[in-house]
Amino acid sequence: MTAQPMQGVKVLDLAWVVAGPLIGRSLADYGATVVRIESSRRVETARLMGPFPNGVFDVQQCTLYENTNAGKLGLALDLRRPEAQAVVRDLAAWADIAVESFTPGQMAKWGLDYAVLSAINPSLIMVSTSLMGQSGPYSGFSGYGNHGAAIAGFQNIVGPVGGPPVGPFGPYTDFVAPRFGLVAVLAALDHQRRTGEGCYLDVSQAEAGMQFLAPQIADASVTGRNQACAGNRDVGMTPHGVYRSLGWDNWVAIAARDDAEWAALATLVGGETLAGDPRFTSLEGRKADEDALDALIEAWTSGRPTDDIETALQAVGVPVHRLVATEDFMTDPQLIERGHFVRLDHPLMGQAVVEASHYRMSKTPAEYQRSAPTYGRDNEHVLRDLLGYDDARIATLKEADVLV
Amino acid sequence: MAAKGFLADYRVLDLTDHRGALAGHMLAQLGADVIQVEPPGGSAARLQPPFAPDWPVGENSLFWAAYGSGKRSIVCDPNTAEGLKALHRLVATADCLFESAAPAEGRPPWLDPAALAAVNPRLIQVSITPFGLTGPKRDWADSEITLWAAAGPLLLTRGLDDHPLRISAPQAYLHAAGDAAGAALIAHFARLASDEGQHIDISVQQCVPQATLSAVLAKAVEHKDFVPRPPPPGAQAEAKGPDLSGSGSRTRRSKWSVSDGLAEMHLGLGPAVGGSTNKLFAWMRREGALEERFWDWDWTTLHRRLASGDLTEADLDAARDAVAAFMLTLRKQDLMTIAIEDGIRVAPVETISDLLASPHEAARGFFRTINGPFGDYQAPGPFAVGAADGFVDIRPGPRLGEHTAEILASLPSETAESAR
Repeated sequence: MTAQPMQGVKVLDLAWVVAGPLIGRSLADYGATVVRIESSRRVETARLMGPFPNGVFDVQQCTLYENTNAGKLGLALDLRRPEAQAVVRDLAAWADIAVESFTPGQMAKWGLDYAVLSAINPSLIMVSTSLMGQSGPYSGFSGYGNHGAAIAGFQNIVGPVGGPPVGPFGPYTDFVAPRFGLVAVLAALDHQRRTGEGCYLDVSQAEAGMQFLAPQIADASVTGRNQACAGNRDVGMTPHGVYRSLGWDNWVAIAARDDAEWAALATLVGGETLAGDPRFTSLEGRKADEDALDALIEAWTSGRPTDDIETALQAVGVPVHRLVATEDFMTDPQLIERGHFVRLDHPLMGQAVVEASHYRMSKTPAEYQRSAPTYGRDNEHVLRDLLGYDDARIATLKEADVLV
Repeated sequence: MAAKGFLADYRVLDLTDHRGALAGHMLAQLGADVIQVEPPGGSAARLQPPFAPDWPVGENSLFWAAYGSGKRSIVCDPNTAEGLKALHRLVATADCLFESAAPAEGRPPWLDPAALAAVNPRLIQVSITPFGLTGPKRDWADSEITLWAAAGPLLLTRGLDDHPLRISAPQAYLHAAGDAAGAALIAHFARLASDEGQHIDISVQQCVPQATLSAVLAKAVEHKDFVPRPPPPGAQAEAKGPDLSGSGSRTRRSKWSVSDGLAEMHLGLGPAVGGSTNKLFAWMRREGALEERFWDWDWTTLHRRLASGDLTEADLDAARDAVAAFMLTLRKQDLMTIAIEDGIRVAPVETISDLLASPHEAARGFFRTINGPFGDYQAPGPFAVGAADGFVDIRPGPRLGEHTAEILASLPSETAESAR
């Protein structure tokens, strides 16, 4: 059997919500031992956000939390307590990688900042992921990804043409940042492997988000232009939009990437008359009358079942896809074939469903060892087997009410 | 001495177009030798908007300027015998290869993983495709917006009229390319143990759902109306529960006008986010901007008072009106200070130009000036700060074939290779 790629890599995971924990989730999928620290006395936000079984709020049965923390071991620690901080320092000595996402400065207050932990373990790679980064005048800003999305420029570029902006769904920079955090951590780990040197990585969610706007940033710097809300329009493609299909709240997204795709789409929508209409044969012509084209297309789509529209347009090679609703996502035949849904035993839910790793590797596929930890699920294993604590030490911690 | 970067020892071949260009760019920022292998007409990434109006046509893509930066360029057409030979010589020296040929467009035989592995068994090949290389939709035509639809976020992002909206800058392929870079490095660790490369099949449709905050799994636990949809016409308007999802999942009601722009602030209620609203109301009260009727409101438990009928939606609207009036007295530039000093979760809604003028990013030295062949432009700097030796200063997006001669000259001779 092939070894898992990250087998033997030890991760101390102090992160919470989404951007930080997803780094450890990816490492756990590929064999790393990830010890997640949290306290039931300070409920982590991801546990509060759902979805919940039958919609019933329960911080121990939250799907977002499961999806971001599957595969990890759980150690419950009240980090405000000096005894708990000592355990974290022992874990830092054990670990190759530490991930944390507290407000900048918090780790130092607990005596757990990089200066302290790297003195214990000079080869430790520590990544701090925060909204604004660890330095700079706004480093003390504490907020969520929707604020990160505002500060990174995303809230201003989702909306109808001319605005007002409504912003992207959810804490958008939380979805972007872990991809950069993971790459930085893995590159640092390779460096550590070759040199023995650890390092500190300060990942700003806002800055990670801006990496996804690099072309628009270059544009502003060269031309002074600011990307504005453009509805569903695209500079280089027309038609390009979201159109109603038959039934309530059903929609399809359609794009004609070039003139040939327009001709194919137009033939379906308006026959040879529309396909041959000289006003629309070029992108410039179509741009000149985009509202009218959108109305023509929606007049055609709105009377047709979504299935029929997908079949008809895909048959002629025009990009189309229904807007998948959360109710229907898990029945998408493509996602099912791809093994996108992973079912894990869960002590309270019976079964937790999480999304699969985003990478399908031919030789070392992801393995999903366990559901995300309930509070303190792996206390014994972590303290006894990973840290080598004896009965007396564990008993002392329990009696001191630290393992909660 | 200039930093070499964490990945200085590695070579990456980048055969992607705009649908994967970020992956190589990320590794180039970490010092990898990333070679964009381009067809004679150039990568399609060179034709992506936005464009610099004063730069020559064909060399004016600011998409390319951004995500081509850090790479070298070689022209090579593997559809010819000579080109295929050159590709194989490159592959023999490479650690990793990214490509983004969509099945619907016909993937060329020379991208077949077995064929590339035969040339270099240690090669890590990453395929970034719309739906993956298997499954009933593998051959579906795609575009950015159809993938945003297929992966979930498009229906969740609604305008004030409930019309679904995309982000006005393409994002879907960027999520997948970011994942591709991570996948390549994980496979690198597998190779350290096995001395074998492998093939990685990445589906954009599976990467983008991360942008739904797990809402796409609501059905798995039968959480109905997790993100409520508009009621059908004529339907009895159901009494809707308040949004307790926290963290601004539904952002469209979270924009507030300030005197010179917009602020982002989720007027949260419930245990997850009500505390921040309490801080806002305490502050408004101190400033004399809050009627007495709101003084005893505790937003962490307010949903219970609403459910019991003790408070009504009209009361909530009145509270929102009070907040709206107060926000109009503020300026965008004050918001970060207010947030930091008073613990109120509010932020300015920045324009792209605001980013470039941010005093915070200036202090962090985040934006870099890149001297392009036709003019300077600004680009985001390293995506992690602190490990100065880990990242390198990057070169501008290369001109087409700018490095063809130097790269070919550096490759082992064909005789040496055939003797291998």
